[in-house]
Amino acid sequence: MTAAGLDKEHTYEIAGITTSPLMVRMMEMGVMPGKTISLLRKAPFKGPMAFLIQGNVLALRIEEADLIQIKEV
Amino acid sequence: MEVTEKKAVKSIAIIGNPNVGKSSIFNQLTGLNQKIGNYPGMTVDKMLGYFSLGNKHFELIDLPGTYSLYPKSEDEIIAHKVLNGIGMEKPDAALVVLDACNLERSLLLGTQVMDLGIPLAFVVNMKDLAEKRGLSIQTYALYQELGVPLVMTDARNNEGMEAVRDLLSNDDFSIGKPFGELDFADLLEEVRLKYGFRTHYQAFQELIFAAYDPLADPDKKDWLAEKAGAYQFDSEAEQARETSRRYAKIKDILRSTQSSASGEPKKLHARLDRLFMHPVWGYVTFLAIMLLIFQAIFAWAEGPMNLIDGAFAAMSGWVAETLPPGVLTDLLSEGIITGIGGVVIFIPQIALLFGFLAFLEDTGYFSRVVFLMDRIMRPFGLHGKSIVPLISGMACAIPGIMATRNISNTRERLITILVTPWMSCSARLPVYIILIGLTVPDETWIGVNLQALALLAMYLIGTLFTLLGAFALKFVLKSRERSFLLTELPIYRMPRWQTVLLTMFNKSKIFVLEAGKVILAISIVLWVLASYGPSGEMENLEAEKATALESVSEDQKHELAAEYASRELEASYIGILGKAIEPAIRPLGYDWKIGIALLTSFAAREVFVATVATIYSVGEDVEDELTIREKLDKQVHADTGEKVFTRATGFSLMVFYALAMQCMSTVAVVYRETKTWKWPVLQTIGMTIVAYLGALITYQIWS
Repeated sequence: MTAAGLDKEHTYEIAGITTSPLMVRMMEMGVMPGKTISLLRKAPFKGPMAFLIQGNVLALRIEEADLIQIKEV
Repeated sequence: MEVTEKKAVKSIAIIGNPNVGKSSIFNQLTGLNQKIGNYPGMTVDKMLGYFSLGNKHFELIDLPGTYSLYPKSEDEIIAHKVLNGIGMEKPDAALVVLDACNLERSLLLGTQVMDLGIPLAFVVNMKDLAEKRGLSIQTYALYQELGVPLVMTDARNNEGMEAVRDLLSNDDFSIGKPFGELDFADLLEEVRLKYGFRTHYQAFQELIFAAYDPLADPDKKDWLAEKAGAYQFDSEAEQARETSRRYAKIKDILRSTQSSASGEPKKLHARLDRLFMHPVWGYVTFLAIMLLIFQAIFAWAEGPMNLIDGAFAAMSGWVAETLPPGVLTDLLSEGIITGIGGVVIFIPQIALLFGFLAFLEDTGYFSRVVFLMDRIMRPFGLHGKSIVPLISGMACAIPGIMATRNISNTRERLITILVTPWMSCSARLPVYIILIGLTVPDETWIGVNLQALALLAMYLIGTLFTLLGAFALKFVLKSRERSFLLTELPIYRMPRWQTVLLTMFNKSKIFVLEAGKVILAISIVLWVLASYGPSGEMENLEAEKATALESVSEDQKHELAAEYASRELEASYIGILGKAIEPAIRPLGYDWKIGIALLTSFAAREVFVATVATIYSVGEDVEDELTIREKLDKQVHADTGEKVFTRATGFSLMVFYALAMQCMSTVAVVYRETKTWKWPVLQTIGMTIVAYLGALITYQIWS
């Protein structure tokens, strides 16, 4: 399961990040395995998604969210 | 004899994550004493600030906000080159600003800078927020772990700034303990020795960065690539590995030096987000805020603009009367002073727009707009961040283009710059108003005023072409850069007036000093072309005018002067050019007189009105819109006797002004933002071609 398929009101844990040129960018912004992640809201028409990742709010497009693997806490 | 000379000015680089309050600290320390310079070959500005403490003088280099020292955009390349002194002088020390609420993340950058072996100090900012969230940081323990002095601040409220000043004046910087662990010791040692670096980490960074630096020596690039290949050094994998290790170690340290609390953002912010990011109300609020800003710009900019206009006109008049008549006086009064006036006139709009933008940016609202607009902009090859420049373009393209700075993807930024001038700016308004008044009846059609409808149509045409243009450019401009959105939505904060005012000041300064030169040069050329003609024809006309004026009564003088103004413009080089292009613009429904107006209004669109008034000898009083309109309405083609300003010609002209560049200030700003003449030239040619075709089709449809 990836963050792109997250539903609201549930907190998950980041299990890993798919290897891609964006991996380092995500890591440096604090998107790291072991962090908690929950969906805050989605922009209309399959726009970006806003996540709460360990206290910080980050906006990502669905394609980027799809690179974040999550697991149940 | 060896002389150990102490540098008179200590240079200190300041670096930190975005939204960490780095610019607050920079502004608090330097105040208005800031300078904007260039990094050679880069589009990012070099921000420098100067200040003194006691008898010590400091130069502060404000590096762009970054999350790490890995090559992703020009920002990181600049940080890398400055901190390692590659191609420029290395600063004496670095001040790294950390986020008290996000120590883990900010220490990633912090420890990277530490490993470069530069003397440094940490400023842990936003301690007020950390306290509110119940986080407590054991600074002494952290100091012991890292070996680097730390100062806690709340720069927004000017707290802890004294400690920062003390640190600077006591020179309390120190080189930290090596932090990161690296593999490839042999490879790094080779690189280190070859380029004379201090630490292995510097060698590691150079291995990663050289491939991205456009200015790096090709031999160096080849050598590094070869070495990396020989040792099977995979740049991306090593960055990820290094980041993981660094985080693990930071986590370890923080476990013993920071007592954490929930760290969740507060309820109030969530409530604000519920409105500002709402699928419906979010957009409504955004539109309302933008409308309010435009309302304010139109209401507040007009007064100062009129004042500037009047002041420069008075100055020009005073010079013309006071100095002895001659070419130099004319150049000064009509060329240079008027040209400078043409630059300064933009300041109210630029300052106001950037004031509002800085205000909204500082509150954290803009990242929400990016969130909402990204999906809408993407099909057009634009980014969520393109929305601010485009909307600003409806007031004036200049601040719009200057606001493209924070679009990090080069291609998306370029497309935004190239299409922003198509948004209907306020300078088009006088042109539209005159032409609509001439060609659209003041009648209502199912309750809607036709003239208002025509004006709305012009705004829609502008927006339509902006989006279509972006869409077309998406296929023309290819890029290997991947488009992505990965942005922090910072918590809402009260804006700092100091930041807002400084932004207004700095943006106006950049415009006047950098774009101003180009604008002044073009306006002088245009003035020469409009005031001089080949071999003495002007002088003959002047002489003729002088004798003619003597023989007429006082009442007729105005009319006669207007007539001669028109004839002189006709005899000038620009008049000759206007006639020369007549065959080309005939299919658009224009005569050579309109041709002259097209040429002179390259300076700025609103000049069209003034030129048309002169060439059709409306007289001095160009402010009187009705007079111009009446006079223009009576104009007929000399050969056919048909009306010049028919509906077809009027519409064709409006379409031309909607789509053509016709603004030298925009050209100058595009040059300044892209740092090359290639784009403004291509853009001007492209827009002129599209405008020509658009006007041609319009004329053919309506005639």
